[in-house]
Amino acid sequence: MDELELLKKDWQKQEDTLPKLSYDDIYKMILKKSSSIVKWIFIISILEFILWISFDIGVRVSGKYEEIEVMGMEGFSIISSIISYGIFLYFIIRFYYNFKNIRVTDSAKILMQNIIKTRKTVKYYVWVNLSVLAFLMMSTMIYMLLYTDVFSNEAVDQQVPIVVVVVSFIITTVVIIILLALIYRLIYGILTRRLKKNYEELKKLEV
Amino acid sequence: MEKELEHSFVTNLEQNQNIVHKICRLYTNDSESHNDLFQEITIQLWKAYPKFRGDSKFSTWMYRVSLNTAITLYRKSKRSIKTSDLETLSFKISAEEYDDAVEQQLTLMYSAVKQLNDIEKALVFLYLEDKSYKEIAETMGISEVNARVKMNRVKTKLKKILNP
Repeated sequence: MDELELLKKDWQKQEDTLPKLSYDDIYKMILKKSSSIVKWIFIISILEFILWISFDIGVRVSGKYEEIEVMGMEGFSIISSIISYGIFLYFIIRFYYNFKNIRVTDSAKILMQNIIKTRKTVKYYVWVNLSVLAFLMMSTMIYMLLYTDVFSNEAVDQQVPIVVVVVSFIITTVVIIILLALIYRLIYGILTRRLKKNYEELKKLEV
Repeated sequence: MEKELEHSFVTNLEQNQNIVHKICRLYTNDSESHNDLFQEITIQLWKAYPKFRGDSKFSTWMYRVSLNTAITLYRKSKRSIKTSDLETLSFKISAEEYDDAVEQQLTLMYSAVKQLNDIEKALVFLYLEDKSYKEIAETMGISEVNARVKMNRVKTKLKKILNP
């Protein structure tokens, strides 16, 4: 293509019209902080980990676990703690290694892959936590319905029909999940839209 | 030790800053964004510098880190493109004087390149910088064959933009 060759010639002559920064200008720049998307993903991910851990601690401090223990479910609560901290540990270690793997000196494709991987680790962490939470709430509810008299203690005319309890519970869970998914799409959508688009573009080349 | 590293880095970058400016010129449309991107590229280069062993040329290493920053790490500011920026899209970059026909052709070419997507721009940039397909492929993380195929597609696309 002749035009491109013409462009190439002109391109290589542009030196004179480029800005010139002095030694001091550049020196000042290296003292500043990065605002790259990796940094943002890192900050938001750490906040997510903190959010879930404080949620867990909050439940413990507020005495909700004691209520469960009173109902004769201590074993249940111990197992759930072990599971949730095990999950946390696994994900934080993976997150750390993924993050360590992000190197700006890799090829564009590998760099993009590694960033997306890091992001996905935290995404899975949140979804696993949500599922565990939903599962625990569900099994607590079933346990209470079948083996305790929490629901049948009240006078007959004040009793809420079990169907209503179950349905409202499921609706609450679904609403929480949808809300969370929306917040996610918003935060990471804004952050990674361009990255994802460019990654898809590069991947298309392989077909 | 740190001071020495700083000094060698800043000196190296000062000498090779044209590479970064050219990338900024291709990926941004106003001087403020140009400076933003230059700043981010400088930080990324500096962060990666301690691991730069000198087994490749400083400039080769710079191409990779700078392009990665432009197409992957940099977060474009929300500033929308103003009409005044659109006019500078077809910037004339060399100080050279050409006859009108060539001049016009160049202007059209530059504005066509500006309309490409980030990945296509990267390919064109490396091509204009006279890099081999092997180097283009390595920088982007694709095979050499794919780099050639894609470059041909970009040429076709440019032709279409020029002669709609």
